[in-house]
Amino acid sequence: MADTKPRLKVPSEAKKGEIVVLKTLVQHVMETGLRKDKSGAVIPRQIINRFTCEFNGKPVFSCNLEPAIAANPYFEFTAKVEESGTFKFTWVDDDGTVTTAQAPITVT
Amino acid sequence: MDRAAAMMNRIAFAAAVGAMAAVALIAFGTLHAPAQASKEAPLVLEGSAAQTPWKRYSDWPQRDESKFNTLAKLASPPAPKEARKLPEGLTGNAANGQKLVADRTRGGSCLACHVMGPAGGADLPGNVGPDLSEIGNAGLDDAQLFNYVNDARVYNPDTVMPPWGTHGLFNDQEIMDIVAFLKTLKAPAKFKSELDDPTRRPAPVEKRDNLDDMVNPGMWAIDRAKALWKADGPAGKSCASCHADATALKTFAPHMPRWEPRLDKVLGVEEFIYRHAKATTGADWLMQSDENTTLAVYLRYIANGEPIDVDIASPGARAAYERGKALSNRKLGQLNFACTDCHDKSKGGLKWIRGQWLGEQRGQYDHFPTWRTSLQAIWDIRKRFQWCQVNIRADELPPDAKEYGDLELYLASVNNGLKLNVPGIRH
Repeated sequence: MADTKPRLKVPSEAKKGEIVVLKTLVQHVMETGLRKDKSGAVIPRQIINRFTCEFNGKPVFSCNLEPAIAANPYFEFTAKVEESGTFKFTWVDDDGTVTTAQAPITVT
Repeated sequence: MDRAAAMMNRIAFAAAVGAMAAVALIAFGTLHAPAQASKEAPLVLEGSAAQTPWKRYSDWPQRDESKFNTLAKLASPPAPKEARKLPEGLTGNAANGQKLVADRTRGGSCLACHVMGPAGGADLPGNVGPDLSEIGNAGLDDAQLFNYVNDARVYNPDTVMPPWGTHGLFNDQEIMDIVAFLKTLKAPAKFKSELDDPTRRPAPVEKRDNLDDMVNPGMWAIDRAKALWKADGPAGKSCASCHADATALKTFAPHMPRWEPRLDKVLGVEEFIYRHAKATTGADWLMQSDENTTLAVYLRYIANGEPIDVDIASPGARAAYERGKALSNRKLGQLNFACTDCHDKSKGGLKWIRGQWLGEQRGQYDHFPTWRTSLQAIWDIRKRFQWCQVNIRADELPPDAKEYGDLELYLASVNNGLKLNVPGIRH
């Protein structure tokens, strides 16, 4: 994983019961494991294989990623918010690296 | 911004860096003392600003193009003065010719620029050159066709067509094969769709918002640059030590590149970053290093929206501009292309080379350094110059070559008035 912080677009405020749009972008090569280098050797697979989003510890969205996903995976999804709290996002790399990011939201 | 205001900004900037130069002189003594330190940004004047000796990127095509022109030297064989006689004893093989016209290993070959009927099942022909679909009906004899392919300059000294024979891209037998194939072309091209027809294929329009950090991964450079700005170099100082408010430098990038008498060359943003950082913070940010490119993006990013306004009026700048303009017309490499052959609309500009659109010179500068989606990397303008040359089979120069400075100044002047919009996003 590149040494850059994931980008998050999460509204800082929402009304109780509102459906909010969450966007995330993370920098990653998403090497498929199918390409070969000039000497013919396979370039080893290295992808983000799992992404999850939790709100106050409860699952909101998760998915497994496969080698067909392009570099710098972008997610956009929605969540209904009933209370103030924190969204926590997690990306898991093939090499075991876990990257996390958080974004608070105030619900009125 | 009008010119008077631009001049005022330049003066204000010169005063700001002048104050900083005094600080640097205390830190560095006379080691890097510039000639007129009271007015000018400190620069390391000696040495190269790029990897030395320059070595081509290992994942770029490695070819020896030393027998052909570069921006720094003239080496290509001279154009023949008259047409050649047909080589004796050779018979063309049309079937092999059909393969050769679509051979991408020969500098793109014929279909890169010509529609050739239903040739070779090839899709996406270009249209820089004339449609050859009915060349077999044109009444040209074998010797004429041979000479057009071998070296069309014998018929038209201003042609943009590569001298395929003279420059050794095809041998006589292969040219005879192509001639045999050309003679079979007697029917208009039929296209499966308008996307296949270069005369109807819509020009690409870049609609992505390149400054939306969710759209353009190049925007990560801005985050990295802000961290680099505050990171102390070996001299115990950072960019922020002198430039606490980076955005105050927004009057810098629109006037770059500029003629730099202390270096006797045109200085671009990237080379400035190396020489200025080396002289102040001690950082070693060679051109095309990640740090250098990151800051080159940032120094333009803070000036986004400002019109490009480079000086080509002062005597040194004027001479550099004239040299750069001449270089933009110099035929380079085995394919023998000048910049203008592909990017001037009186020639190949605003046409298709195979499936790729050739833009004009105006519009090719305001978004650099740019994110390249096909490569997942940010390229500055000098790297783009280098790649152009490798593609036309010419040896590239080191990024800090004075010829690139002249060419960049010319290109920037053609783009004067366009607003900076960095980092761009392109294929």
